[in-house]
Amino acid sequence: MPRSLAAAGALAALLAATAVAQDPRLGRLDATARPLVAGVIDSARAAGLPTEPLVQRALEGATKGAPGTLIASAVQRLAADLGRARAVLGAGATPPELEAGAAALRAGAGPAVLAQLRRSRRQTITVPLAVLADLVASGVPVDSAAAAVLALAASARDADLIDLRRAVERDIALGAAPTAATAAAMAGVFGADALHVNAGARDARPGRP
Amino acid sequence: MTAGRRAWAASAAAGWSLLTVRAPAAQTTGTFDIGMSTVRYDGFLASGAASVTPGVRWERPNGTLTARGTYLRFESGHRSLQGSVAGSFFMPAAHRWRGEFSAGAGASRYVDFASFWHAVGEARLHFMESERGAWVSGTAGRASYGSAPRTVLAAGAGAWLRLPELTLRVSANLSHVGDTSYTDVESSARTAWGQVTLDATLGARVWSRGGGRGMYGETSAALSLGERIAIVLSGGRYPTDPISGSIAARYLTVAIRIQTVSPRHTMSRGSMAPRGSGADGTDAPTAARLEVQVDRSRPVRLVVHVADASRVEVAGDFTDWQPLALNRTGGDLWEVVLPITSGVHRIDIRIDGAAWMVPAGTTRAPDDYGGDVGIFVVP
Repeated sequence: MPRSLAAAGALAALLAATAVAQDPRLGRLDATARPLVAGVIDSARAAGLPTEPLVQRALEGATKGAPGTLIASAVQRLAADLGRARAVLGAGATPPELEAGAAALRAGAGPAVLAQLRRSRRQTITVPLAVLADLVASGVPVDSAAAAVLALAASARDADLIDLRRAVERDIALGAAPTAATAAAMAGVFGADALHVNAGARDARPGRP
Repeated sequence: MTAGRRAWAASAAAGWSLLTVRAPAAQTTGTFDIGMSTVRYDGFLASGAASVTPGVRWERPNGTLTARGTYLRFESGHRSLQGSVAGSFFMPAAHRWRGEFSAGAGASRYVDFASFWHAVGEARLHFMESERGAWVSGTAGRASYGSAPRTVLAAGAGAWLRLPELTLRVSANLSHVGDTSYTDVESSARTAWGQVTLDATLGARVWSRGGGRGMYGETSAALSLGERIAIVLSGGRYPTDPISGSIAARYLTVAIRIQTVSPRHTMSRGSMAPRGSGADGTDAPTAARLEVQVDRSRPVRLVVHVADASRVEVAGDFTDWQPLALNRTGGDLWEVVLPITSGVHRIDIRIDGAAWMVPAGTTRAPDDYGGDVGIFVVP
């Protein structure tokens, strides 16, 4: 028994040393997390997934003082999400796209939405995916958020999508329901709301007696 | 109780209900304007007036419904009441085309002798791109000036253009109300600068039979003083509107606008970071707001607004989650310039060595470690 314990300890130490050798930043993890995280990262690298997001997720846990097992499971979950995103977006997806895709999937967007985004936009879809996840996090139902982003994805610039997200944020902060805020922001992006071309809903001039 | 007092009581009650009872539907927002004006209607002497204007707006993804009323009390003691309701429904977009159907009705009354009402329907066909668009419209309905209703027919066309800091619109309308006809050509611009939103309209009634002619223009500035309150300053000249029954006038108004806040659903983003909620679930001492300034040709500038701090640090996936102290650049401003790549990023902030916290201006999301993390996007 003591011999097996010694062997297990030696193996753990070896794995930990290997992990630090692979990426010195992992030296900030405790002895429990280090070999587990290193194993996940090795597997991800072998699968062709980006490893930097995994390292960052582990470092975030270390900075926040999370237990090693929690850090390992968080990294494992992110690796699984990245794999799902790559399966939908294809092998040609960039690491930022995969990271944003993983966040969108985690937020509740279906794989079909990600695939449709990929088809509808020639440029990178990192920002559309990020805005999609962001809208959902702001309380916009997934279907509404997906419809909004898909409607803009083909022709809108990244900056337009960021504007959309800001407009939704502003309107929610002003008290609008997330769905209504998204609809109003869409109209704003299309110019309808901001310009009062919406015939039935245009406001009277404020203060006109 | 006189009709005027009943109307005043109804307006006050509606306004009070907007302020005290949150909008029953999540998509509903209300405004309540209290203002003072000086106005000179064409053919009348100038007069001061106090106004109360409650309004409510109900939104759905494919349409809106608005209702608005105005109670005016002039310095002579006379009163004017106006009310209107309008709704519009958008058809699903077909490529860049979208149809809109709308209907509106309104009525107004001045003292006991002048009353107007109108009811019209309108169809618009929009051509929309992300930065520009155009529409054509047709309107039909009825309007009455206290006599037999008269037929309303109108046709219009317009175009709009969105520039980075400015939105422009031009339109032309030909209207027939009974035997009165007129053509208006109008342009408007809207821009927002910080907490100030500016609107301006310049137009001309270029042709008319019984509706007057001439130039007109109005402008308004709204200064937001927070989520609920704004000060609105507006003025100018508007033309006679034979459909709604308003008479041409010059005016200047200053008003306070109070906006209701409807119940929030899932809120993970706010204008202020919640106090007492650190990223690790412990208490955070104060609130901070992050501003991400992106210029494609330069590194990203992170600016944090926080009051009464002696040290502010950020940590995120762009610092390998190592605390990085910010430089103080002003009273409450702290900043750092970093080469942050395009994509999604996670960030937390620490003030004076206290708990890590999620700054306002980011999206709050669970961090997998029992707390939250701020998310922002660099395009």
